[in-house]
Amino acid sequence: MLKRAVFTALALLIAGCSSGSGGTTLTGAGSSFDYPFFSKAFDTYSSQHPDVTVNYQSIGSGGGIQQFIQKTIDFGASDVPMNGDELTRAGQPVIQMPVALGGVVLSYNVNGVPSGLRLDGDAIAGIYLGRIKSWNDPRLKALNPGVNLPNTAIVVVHRSEASGTSYIFTDYLSSVSTEWKTKVGKGKAVSWPASGSVGGKGNEGVAGLIRATPGAIGYVELAYALENNMATAAIKNSSGAWVACSPNTVQAAAASKPNVTNTDFSIVDRPGARSYPISGYSWVMVYTKPADPKRGRMIQNVLQWLDGNQAQQIAASLHYVALPVNVQASAQRALQSMNL
Amino acid sequence: MQAAGEETTAKVQVDDLSVYYGKVAAVKHASLKVHENCVTALIGPSGCGKTTFIRALNRMHDLTPGARVEGRVVLDGIDIYAPNVNPVLLRHKIGMVFQRPNPFPKSIFDNVAYGPRIHGTRNGASLEALVERSLRRAALWNEVKDRLDRSALDLSGGQQQRLCIARVLAVEPEIILMDEPASALDPIATSKIEDLINDLKREYTVIIVTHSMQQAARMSDYTAFFLLGDLVESGPTRDMFTRPSDKRTEDYITGRFG
Amino acid sequence: MRRLGARTGSKIVDQIFVAVLLGAAIVFLAIILGLAASLVKGSLPSLRTFGFAFLWTSSWNPVTSIFGALPLIYGTVISSLIATVLAGVFGIFAAVFLSDFAPAFLARPLSFMIELLAAVPSVVFGLWGLFVLAPAMRNTIDPALQRTLGFLPIFSGPSYGVGLLTAGVILALMIIPTVTAISRDVLTTIPADQREASMSLGATKWETMMKVVVPAARAGIFGAIILALGRALGETIATTMVIGNRPEIAVSLFAPSYTLASVIANEFTEATSDIYLSALIELGLLLLIVSVVVNALARILMWSVFRGARSAR
Ligand SMILES: Nc1ncnc2c1ncn2[C@@H]1O[C@H](COP(=O)(O)OP(=O)(O)OP(=O)(O)O)[C@@H](O)[C@H]1O
Ligand SMILES: [Mg+2]
Repeated sequence: MLKRAVFTALALLIAGCSSGSGGTTLTGAGSSFDYPFFSKAFDTYSSQHPDVTVNYQSIGSGGGIQQFIQKTIDFGASDVPMNGDELTRAGQPVIQMPVALGGVVLSYNVNGVPSGLRLDGDAIAGIYLGRIKSWNDPRLKALNPGVNLPNTAIVVVHRSEASGTSYIFTDYLSSVSTEWKTKVGKGKAVSWPASGSVGGKGNEGVAGLIRATPGAIGYVELAYALENNMATAAIKNSSGAWVACSPNTVQAAAASKPNVTNTDFSIVDRPGARSYPISGYSWVMVYTKPADPKRGRMIQNVLQWLDGNQAQQIAASLHYVALPVNVQASAQRALQSMNL
Repeated sequence: MQAAGEETTAKVQVDDLSVYYGKVAAVKHASLKVHENCVTALIGPSGCGKTTFIRALNRMHDLTPGARVEGRVVLDGIDIYAPNVNPVLLRHKIGMVFQRPNPFPKSIFDNVAYGPRIHGTRNGASLEALVERSLRRAALWNEVKDRLDRSALDLSGGQQQRLCIARVLAVEPEIILMDEPASALDPIATSKIEDLINDLKREYTVIIVTHSMQQAARMSDYTAFFLLGDLVESGPTRDMFTRPSDKRTEDYITGRFG
Repeated sequence: MRRLGARTGSKIVDQIFVAVLLGAAIVFLAIILGLAASLVKGSLPSLRTFGFAFLWTSSWNPVTSIFGALPLIYGTVISSLIATVLAGVFGIFAAVFLSDFAPAFLARPLSFMIELLAAVPSVVFGLWGLFVLAPAMRNTIDPALQRTLGFLPIFSGPSYGVGLLTAGVILALMIIPTVTAISRDVLTTIPADQREASMSLGATKWETMMKVVVPAARAGIFGAIILALGRALGETIATTMVIGNRPEIAVSLFAPSYTLASVIANEFTEATSDIYLSALIELGLLLLIVSVVVNALARILMWSVFRGARSAR
């Protein structure tokens, strides 16, 4: 009798430790970009579904993909979807769905130009290639009539650590500049060509360098720029429209391409009067056929909720950009194809 | 003061000197006349304040946290505790050999050359001559002349003490304070030191602390006897050892206590 | 008999003691060798692909998967050297001040504060470096250096605020507490009679410290500096925040640079391709080797200085 009571108590204790209030704990890991969104969203989810706890570890996209391939987690999150090689290593069909949307803005510190700077793809590529070295370069003057651009050297700032933000930004540069595409390419970390360019760690590092360095230009996440009221440049998109970065213009760019896949997922340089050209998704990966169907169903539920209206509103409240309705719908369809 | 005392002038006049460690007085109201070009021996049982007394003569107590000196120490007519006296210059004039040998962890040469270098002797040849002269006078030269660049810490205790004497001589002070310089030495080295001290007094004024009555009797011109922080009696050594005026002095000298 | 028995017993205790010490030494050795072995194993793909060219080529391009570590080695060594020289000088002076010059009411709180400084997380140093030091370097210190010492190529060219020199200064600030705290402890262990010997010969307090006490403590002080150097070589967060993170060798100390540890920290979590990961692990191996080599060089240097000091006439 006593023995059994102790055993039960012990079992309860263990269960309590591993899964909160006696329910199931799902684990995910990966992108740090998603972390603020996920932690708030999963918190909300647990309060609505007390039997499920989702534990998300912000270890970086690469780590998330590794752990996902090793099947030590229920889902992975990455700023760039898994590529063919990684999918092969996973060894099983994988569903990848966009889960968060973010824009990348160009911020600057130019004496006498507190706001209202205008840039186009050629200019940005020229600057980051190190071809445009001074703020009073004729190419910049032509884009900013009436603005008194000073004769200050341009200091190019980029992210020092590998990041999804850099991926989106170099993806944009690759699609607007063939020179960039051939010389540098796109990636979470690249070999930055402009001489004297400096790297800052994280959005805050880049922002700090911009603020501290007259003549600096750099790119940061839209959410970070909004929270810190940073001056951002308006960019001429491929339809020739001047677009400032905002949740609306990022969403417009995303909505113009509802059917993203893990091989065709780029939404940079989209046409459209309101499409902001530098933005991209963050992704969640699950196995089409998880080992434990019961668990699989729980994951499916969580992810369906995550790509639904309620969770996307949470994202918007945290200065992410909510997924356009059509993108949400196609993600839901993809999740339906889970084999449980 | 008696016969011999009046023939020589006072190099140092100590007046009503008290030294405190915190609240405790280790030397109480001591007065002593130190005669120029003479050897003055300080005797007394262990812990009676001899070291404390001589450390007051070159202001070493300045370095001891919590130590405080009262009274006057007049050197050549100047109170060394007067505010305008620079203790660094004072110590240039008053050399000190410590109770425990304390050579620097440097070469033998650098130990002896330390003082002269500090005081501006840079010239190599004259420095070498000075080092040799000092080591010779300290009766160490023959033992170390082939290994001047070896560490002083490799020397024996007695050799280290003679090195410390040489180190003081190299500074060419006017007064030399010696705190039991022979306590670590064998009889031969001791007699060398005694010869040295005898020799030194032609140019220097020497104050020496010793535990050996014989040594005090042999070498000193004047003797001062300390007991429990009191300077009980002082005077020409001859008189002290033949007819002490204080009963306690007599007891100590005759070995009845201490 | 009883006596003999007791002695045998103590002999066994001795042997156990030696065995335990030996065991501990072997465990340390095993950990280090195991570490090196796993680093070598992880680096194999990169070693095979790039060979020794990894050491003297300068491209660090994750997109094309072409990797060379020379600028990273350079940045690591130079930033740590700057830090060590600065921290050595300032740390020793601070230690001398604390051990012998500062009055007790000042020495104690100051020592406490310096030890507290050692506990400040490096990210705080990094943030301070980015927001306070970097602008100060760009606006004041670098221009001043350029005005006075600009004829030296190392103080030429534009200053961005972040760069090799700034990283060196931040690292120096981070390791000064180590140098100061240990050096002060070593200085206070030098017996008072050494100080008294020097003072009694008419030396000033300053001469006493510089010519007797500090030289007597040099082995310990040097140990402190070596320890600090180790920390500087491996420091990651603070460095990466202020060094500019550019894998390029420039003559000027004002120019941005990059270190081995920073690259690993910046790129490891996002590296997925095998060769990329392997190259990053090889950077770790290099960091280990650089640390060992720099340490050994420093020891050789110091050893020759010691000998020089001993035989100096
Ligand atoms: N730094 C110090 N702090 C506190 N008390 C001290 C200090 N130095 C000496 N004393 C005390 O002062 C008294 C006199 O000491 P001192 O060293 O002068 O004796 P001494 O006559 O030289 O003895 P010895 O013959 O053993 O060397 C002793 O009671 C000693 O304990
Ligand atoms: Mg004594």
